[in-house]
Amino acid sequence: MTDIASGPAVRRLYGRSALSRVISVQTLPYLMVPVMFLLMVLTLSGFLSKSSVVSLLILASLLGLASLGQTLTIITGGVDLSIPSVIGLAEILITQKYADGWSLATIFLVLIGLSVVIGVINAMAPILLRVPALITTLGTGFVIQGIALAGSHGFTQGKVPAWLKTTVSPIGHTWFIPLPGIIVAWVILAALAISFLRFTRIGREGFANGANPLAAKLAGVRSTWVLIVVFTISALCASLVGVFFAGYSGLPDANVGQPYFFETITAVVIGGTSLLGGGGSYTRTVIGALIVAELTTLLVGVNFGVSAQEMFLGIAIVLLATIYGRQSDISTRI
Amino acid sequence: MPISKRPPEAYAADQAAIDTQLAVRDMARSFGETRALDSATLTLRRGEIHALAGENGSGKSTLIKILSGVIRPDGGEFMFQGSRARFASPYAAQHAGISTVYQETLITPEMSVRDNIFFGTDGLIRHQRSKSQEISGAHLALDQLGLPGLDIDRPMWTLSLAERQLVTVARAIVRPWQVLILDEGTSALDAHRRDRLFAYLRDASSEGKSVLFTSHRMDEVFDLAQRITVLRNGTTVATVDVAESSYSDVLQHMSGREQAAALMEETNGGSGEVRSAPSALAQRPARSGEPVLRVSDVTLRASSQPMSIELKRGEILGIAGLEGQGQVELVEALCGLSRPRGGRVIVVDDAGRDHEISSYRDANRRGVRYVPRDRRQEGLFASQSVFDNFAIASWGELNRFGILKRGAARKRYQEYAEYTRLVGSPNQPVSTLSGGNQQKVLLGRWTSMHPTVLVLNDPLRGVDANTKEELYQFFRSLAAEGMALVFLSTEIGELLVLTDRIAVIHEGSMQALLPTAEATNGKIVAAMFGQNPEEES
Ligand SMILES: Nc1ncnc2c1ncn2[C@@H]1O[C@H](COP(=O)(O)OP(=O)(O)OP(=O)(O)O)[C@@H](O)[C@H]1O
Ligand SMILES: [Mg+2]
Repeated sequence: MTDIASGPAVRRLYGRSALSRVISVQTLPYLMVPVMFLLMVLTLSGFLSKSSVVSLLILASLLGLASLGQTLTIITGGVDLSIPSVIGLAEILITQKYADGWSLATIFLVLIGLSVVIGVINAMAPILLRVPALITTLGTGFVIQGIALAGSHGFTQGKVPAWLKTTVSPIGHTWFIPLPGIIVAWVILAALAISFLRFTRIGREGFANGANPLAAKLAGVRSTWVLIVVFTISALCASLVGVFFAGYSGLPDANVGQPYFFETITAVVIGGTSLLGGGGSYTRTVIGALIVAELTTLLVGVNFGVSAQEMFLGIAIVLLATIYGRQSDISTRI
Repeated sequence: MPISKRPPEAYAADQAAIDTQLAVRDMARSFGETRALDSATLTLRRGEIHALAGENGSGKSTLIKILSGVIRPDGGEFMFQGSRARFASPYAAQHAGISTVYQETLITPEMSVRDNIFFGTDGLIRHQRSKSQEISGAHLALDQLGLPGLDIDRPMWTLSLAERQLVTVARAIVRPWQVLILDEGTSALDAHRRDRLFAYLRDASSEGKSVLFTSHRMDEVFDLAQRITVLRNGTTVATVDVAESSYSDVLQHMSGREQAAALMEETNGGSGEVRSAPSALAQRPARSGEPVLRVSDVTLRASSQPMSIELKRGEILGIAGLEGQGQVELVEALCGLSRPRGGRVIVVDDAGRDHEISSYRDANRRGVRYVPRDRRQEGLFASQSVFDNFAIASWGELNRFGILKRGAARKRYQEYAEYTRLVGSPNQPVSTLSGGNQQKVLLGRWTSMHPTVLVLNDPLRGVDANTKEELYQFFRSLAAEGMALVFLSTEIGELLVLTDRIAVIHEGSMQALLPTAEATNGKIVAAMFGQNPEEES
C-alpha cells in the first residue's frame, strides 16, 4: 500500500528535519541569547558577576531604546537613518546647555519640541517629495549632524546632573530596584512599545501601511498620521538615548550616536523583523539588541578592535538574514 | 524483456502512455494541520483541454503548484511524458515544458510589459535572446492573445487588471511549452477577450499541446474543456466527459450535496428566499426607496455624454461594459477615488442633505465604501493574519482613545465567518487561504461595517459557484436592510440575477440604463457594443 514516493527517503528529501523544525525564524534569535551568554561565561573569566551582567544590559538598553523607533518605522514601511544624528544633537544640547545654566525642564522641553519637528519632517518629506524615507532621513540626518557639530564647535566643556550619571552606572539604583535607571526605562518603554504595536489603532494601521500602502489607503488607513506618530516616537527615543549618553561621558560629543547608524538596523534585522515592512515586533528587536550587545561584549572581551567587531556584526547579519530568507516559502506568495 | 514475448495488452498500455501527457496519482500535500491535498488523481492527454473544478479551498491551486514545481508533494506519483517527474523548482518544470499562469497575477508593477514577459528567462548575466527577438516575441504573444498594439515599454502598473492577466498569460506562452496550466487565468477578462484566449487555446490543443485550467464559471468550463476533473476536500471525486455531463452533475460532485443542482436552478430563476444578515450587520433601519447617491451630469471622458443616475436605499445597481469603456472610471468617481471630468457625485445623508464627494476619505466618512478589484495589489495585506485583514477598516469605529476593542472586532469576525462559511483560523496568514476565501475576507472588511453605499468592483472573481449563490443572498439581505449597492461585473448572468437596474457603459457614456426585469442578455450585449438595446431582436 505504501507508495515509495511517500516513503522515508522522500520525506528526507522534501520534509523538514526535526532540527530545522525547532530552529526556525521564530525560535532562532531566542535561542541565541542564552547560547551566547553561555559562551561569554565560558570564555571571559570572571564574567559572571553582577556588574558585568548589568554593564551588558546597559549596552543593550542603549541600543534597544535607539532601535525602538527604528522598529516602528521599519514595520510601517520606512526606515529612520537620522537616529544617530538626533542622538548626537540631544547629547550636546544637554551637556552644553546644562553647563550654561539652563534648567533641566527647559532643556527637556526643547528636546521634545525638536524631536516632534524632526519626526514630522521625516514623516512628511517622503510623502511630499515622493522619495523613499531611506533617502530623506539620510538627508535630515546630515543636516542635523551639521547643526550639532556647528553648535558644539570648540566646546569641550560640559556638565550633566549627577543623578543622570547614576542612571547609566552599573552600580546605580532606581528607587528600590537594584538596577540603573536606563534598564528600568528600557523595560517600561519596551512594554509600552509592544502594547502600542499590538493594541492601538495606529499600531495596526502601521503594519497595514508597511504591508501594502495602496491597500492601506483603500482600507481607510490614515497613513500620514501614522507616519508622523511613528517618526516622532523614533526621534524622541533617539533624544532619550542622547540624554543617557550624556550621563555616560558628561562631555559634548556630536558623534556619539554614529555607531547606531547600522547597529539599530542590525538589532531589528537580527531579531527577525523584515526590512520590507508589514511584519515583526518590538519583542524581536529586544532580542536583537541583546544579541548585538552580547556579541560586542564578547568580542571586546577577547580583545577584538572596533573594526573586527563591525566585521563580525556584518557576517552575523548576512548569516541570519540568509537563514530567515530561506524560511519564507515562495509558495505562500503565489 | 524481449519485445516479442510481451502480451498484446502491453502495446495498448504503451499507446495510452504515449497519449498521456501528464498523470498524477494519489497526490498529497499538507500545510501544518491543513490537508490541502489528500489524494488527487488526474490524467492530462496530449492535445486535450482539461478543466480542474472544485470549490474554494478544494486544493486546485495546490495541485497546480505541485505540477509546476513551486511546492513539493508529501506523497503520490507524478508521471510526465512517460517518466517519473519531480520538479525541484518552477524553472525545472518550465524547462520540461510545463508553463503556468498562477492564480494571483504575479507581476512587478514598476517594470515594463516586455520585462514582465521575459522575466526569469535569462541567466544571471547573459541574456538568452536578443532585444529584437524579445520585442518580436512579445508582440507575437500579445497579438495571439488579442492585445495587438499594446505598448510593451509601458510599465506594468499602468495596465488594467484584464491586461495584466493577459500579460501573465503571454509570459507563459512565450516559453516553449507542451502543457499550459491556467489557474483562473480568465477571471478578469470580459466575454470578448475570453473568446480570443479560448480560440488561441483551441488552436494550440489541435497541435497536440495540452491545457489544464481552473475556472469557477461552469459555462466556461463546458465551453472549453473536453474533460473535467473534480476535486473535493483535496481528493479527486470524479473525472467526467463534457459531452456526457451537465452543470448540475459537476456542481454536485464539487459540493457532495444534492442541493447544488437546486441552487443553480435558483440562480437562473433569480428568486430564492433571502436569508437575513447577522444581527451586528443589521444595525440600521430599512428605509428603502430614499435616494442616497446621486450622479448628476457626470462626464467621464472628454468626448462622452453626461450621465445621471439616482441610487436609492435598498437598490442594487449593476454596471456592465466591455473592458476599458469607462465602468472603472465610473465606480472610482462614485467613491471619490477620482474626480469626474464634469458633473458631481452627491451623497444624501440621513437628514436628506446633499454633500458632494470631494475625496476618497470624504466618501468613506459619508458611508460610501469601496471593494477594489485586484485583491493582491489593492486589497490584501499578504503578511498579515486573516483577522487583521478583516478588521483593519473597523478600528476607526472599534477603539476607545485609540486602544482597540478587539473583543468587538472578534465578534464581528465570527459572525461574518459563520455567515459566509469562511474556513480556516483567523490567525493564519491571509495568503495561506484559498483565493475564494481571500475574497470573502475582503468583502467582510467593509460589509461588516454596514456602509450606506457599497461600491463593488467585480467582487466575486474567483469565488466558487455555490459560495457565489450564498453571497448573492448576502448582498440581497444587505440591500433588504437598506444598503445601496453598486455592482460592477464582467459576467452578465450575474448582473441579471442580482441587480435591480443595469447601467451599460460604452465609450465613456451610459449607453443604456435598464430595469433588470426588462433586461436580457442580448439587450445588454447590444448596448455593450454601442447599439440601442431596444432594437435587439
Ligand atoms: N501555504 C499554505 N499554508 C497553509 N494552508 C494553505 C497554504 N496554501 C494553501 N493552503 C490551504 O490549502 C487548502 C487548499 O487551497 P488551494 O489554494 O489549493 O484551494 P483552491 O482549490 O485553489 O481554491 P480557490 O478556488 O479558492 O482558489 C485551503 O484550505 C488553503 O487554506
Ligand atoms: Mg486556487
